[in-house]
Order: sequence, then C-alpha cells, then structure tokens
Amino acid sequence: MKKGDSPSLDDLDARLKEARARKARPGEAGEGKAIAHRTGLGLAFRIGTELVSALIVGVGIGWLLDRWLGTAPWFLVVFLFLGAGAGIMNVYRTVNRLGLAVGYRSQEAGEDRPADEEEKD
Amino acid sequence: MAGAEQLNPLEQFEIHRLIPIEIGGVDVSFTNSSLWMVIAITLVTLFLTLSVRRRALVPGRWQSLAELAYEFIANMIRDNVGQEGRRFFPFIFTLFMFILFGNMLGLIPYSFTYTSHIIVTVTLALTVFLGITIVGIVRHGLRFFAFFMPQGVPIAMMPLMIPIEILSYLSRPVSLSIRLFANMMAGHTMMKVFAGFVVILGLFGGWAPLLVDVALTGFEVLIAFLQAYVFTILTCLYLNDTIHLH
Amino acid sequence: MPQLDSSTFPTQIVWLVICFIVLYLLMWKVALPRIAAVLEARRSRIDDDLDRASALKEEAAQALAAYEASLAEAHARAQAELRAAAEQLAAETSARQADLVARLKAETAAAEARIARAKQQALKNIAAVAAEAAQAATARLIGVNVGEPALRKAIDAAMGDEE
Repeated sequence: MKKGDSPSLDDLDARLKEARARKARPGEAGEGKAIAHRTGLGLAFRIGTELVSALIVGVGIGWLLDRWLGTAPWFLVVFLFLGAGAGIMNVYRTVNRLGLAVGYRSQEAGEDRPADEEEKD
Repeated sequence: MAGAEQLNPLEQFEIHRLIPIEIGGVDVSFTNSSLWMVIAITLVTLFLTLSVRRRALVPGRWQSLAELAYEFIANMIRDNVGQEGRRFFPFIFTLFMFILFGNMLGLIPYSFTYTSHIIVTVTLALTVFLGITIVGIVRHGLRFFAFFMPQGVPIAMMPLMIPIEILSYLSRPVSLSIRLFANMMAGHTMMKVFAGFVVILGLFGGWAPLLVDVALTGFEVLIAFLQAYVFTILTCLYLNDTIHLH
Repeated sequence: MPQLDSSTFPTQIVWLVICFIVLYLLMWKVALPRIAAVLEARRSRIDDDLDRASALKEEAAQALAAYEASLAEAHARAQAELRAAAEQLAAETSARQADLVARLKAETAAAEARIARAKQQALKNIAAVAAEAAQAATARLIGVNVGEPALRKAIDAAMGDEE
C-alpha cells in the first residue's frame, strides 16, 4: 500500500538519482571526435597529409644529410624509404585511432581512456 | 574585360603592408594579415567577456555559446590528456580560438585568412611541437627517448624501427601545418575560381557557379571549424603521448 | 604563390607571436576564470539544490511513514474498541438471556405447582360431588340412605381403581 500511496515520492527519488548520475557522468566528447573524423574530405585530407608530411620530412632530412656529407644520392634514397615507411605507419596509427582498421576493436565514443599509440603496434 | 590579375585566384593571399614598420632592419610592418589577427583576438576576447557579463544562472544565448566553447575544450582535454592536462587548458583554448576565428573570418568577403599562410601554420605547429617535446623531456628526463623504441618489436628490427619512429615523430609538426594551410588555401582558391566563373559566364550562365559557391561557403564553414578542431585535438593527443607513455 | 614569398615571413611571425601571446594572457587571466566562475557557481548551486531536494525527500518520506503508522494505529485501536464493545454486548445479551430463561423456568414451575394444586382440589371436589351424587342416587334408586363413611369408602375404592 505504501508504494501505491506515494507515487510522487518515488518519482522524485528516481529523478534525483538520474540528476546526480547525469552530473557524475563525464562529457560525451567521444561523439564529437567521431563526427569530426567522419567527413569524407576531412578524413582524406588527414590521412593524406600524414603520408605526405612523413615523406617530406624523410626526403628533407635525406637531402640535408647528403648536402652536408656530400654522399650524393644515398642518404636521400635511404631516407626516402624511411620516410615512406614512417608515413605508412602514421596512416596506420591514424586509422587505428579512428577505429577503421581491419580487425581492430572499436574504442570510440564513451571511452575516457586516451588512445595510446604504442600498444597498437 | 577584367585584367588577368583580378581573376587570379591566388591574388587573395597576397600580403599588403598597411603600416610599414622596420625595427633593426627587420620588416615588422602591420600587414593585412596582422590586421585580421588583431581583429580575431579582439572578437574572441569581446565574445568571451561580454557574453558572461551577466553571470546568469540560467544562461542566455551568448553566455551559452561561451560556456559551450569552454566546456568543449575542457572535455577534449580531459578525455584526451587526463587530469594533468588541466595546466595546458589556457594554451589549448587560445590555440583553438585563434585558429577557429582565423578560419572563420576568412569567409567574410574582402577579408584575409591568416591561417592560409604556411609560415603562420608552421609557426603554430612548431611552437606546439617544441613545447610538447620540452614538456616531455622536462617530465621524463632522458627516458623520453625510449618513446622511439616501440614495444613488442624484435631487437633485429630496431635499427629500422627507431629511425622510422623518429621520422614519424618529426613529421608531426609538418603534417599539422600542411593540413591547416592546405585546407584553407584550397578552399578559398576554389571559391575564388568559381567566383571568377560567375563573372566570366555573366548574367545567364553565372547562376550555376554561384550556386556552387554558395554550397562551397557552407562547406568552408564546416571545414573552418573542423580544421581548428583537428589541430587542437591532435595537439591534445600528442601531449597525451608525451605525458603518459614514458 | 604568395605564401612562399619569404620577405613577408618576418612580419607574419612577429605579429603572430604578439597576437597569440596577447590572446593567451587575456584568456588565462580574464576570460577563462570568469567562465569557470559562472560554471562553478551553477554547479554548486545545482549540488545544493540536489542535496536539499534529497533531504526534503527524506523528510517527506518520514512524514509519510509517521502518518501511515499513526493511521494504522488508530485503525487498530478502533478495531479493538469495536471488538470490546461487541464482546460486551454479547456478554450482556447472554446474561439477559440466561436471566430470561431462569425466570421462565421459575414461572413454569410455579404454574405447574398451581396446576397440580388445582388438580388436587378438583379431585377432592370430585370425591365430595360423587359422594353427594351417589347418596342421592342410592336414595332415589333403592331408597336406602347410605351413611357418609361407607359412601366415602366406596368412592375412594373406585377412584383408587382408576388411578
């Protein structure tokens, strides 16, 4: 009989609990991350620049080393390949972080733990 | 017919010195780029201070926007860097607002997009990169360089993996700066090209590129926000790497 | 491409640094603390309100419990009193009933006694009447006057047979 007599008290109780839970729960920034990374062109740009910039750095270092040490194209070639490798690794890590890699369990919206790069190797 | 310069889509990126100043042989003129930088920081400050002037408990529109911006960045830092990231909150907030307003203000006709210059984005990216590296070295000492030796890699692969890791790390400021610069420059160039088509095609054919330009403007608003967001969140992620994984 | 015109680099760098630092200082010292204060005020106000709401809810729950307890108690008391009254009523009823039964029995006994006496009386009368009748009859029928004692003896014997 008690519960039936006081529906408003139980309702208030439920609302109180819900209000407290809402405050304690951390924000939903994961959702924003997902939104930002889903635009086709934006995604393409991100992945592209990761690859290109690694190549640029590799070629740049290689070229500078060649000029400094005078060893004609060898450092350039080596660092070209290293840069390409670094670029591909960059792309892999970026895609991993977005949860798009094959066979990778998603760690998207709702996760509070920040993405760590190293363990994904 | 208009001269070739006026239809040059790259002309919009030129720097015009409004007030030539020279200090110690170095040209530090007040240019159109500087002008719009000053306008941007003025607007940011006015927006944030005036909107919370009333300090209402139930916020109005502008105060809601200011609070939204604050919480957006605060949540981003908390989710991607954790509690230690709170010290960097003003810097990251400043970074985000500066880039965001720079990108957005460029969409005003006859304005200037200071983030479309590689030197500006490179400076921002290098500052972020160097700052984060210094934070890492100060925090972890020489163990910081253990970052370049990924776990779970057999020793034989190390001579290959370490340079690759170093290159990957060094490519971060490059990718940050290129991404922002390229997006801004490409977007504005496209808009200018289609605007040129409007002029060329005249009254009867000009509505098609005009529609494209309207769509592009909307798209560029999204890109303006997106690029500011991506720059900022990558900064947070790199900061998190440096703070936590050593 | 104008971006690669390196003569513009120094001015852009210098003004970028100036503006960024100015904005940083403004944010750090002025804008962000104000927004933080507003958010903090709202959060603590909400916390206070939530605490007060749950305290009031506790009070309300207690008041409700007390009310219902006293209601139940009053209910129980009313039941007890009703039961007591009913019992008392039943007891009085049965007492009065027993009383009535006893009185009826007494009256019945008295009546029976009266009836027995009347019966005796009637019987005695019958003996006298029968004696007179027998005397008259014998006097008339056989012209003999039978004496009282012999008469009475004969009647008693006849009545004795019948009984």
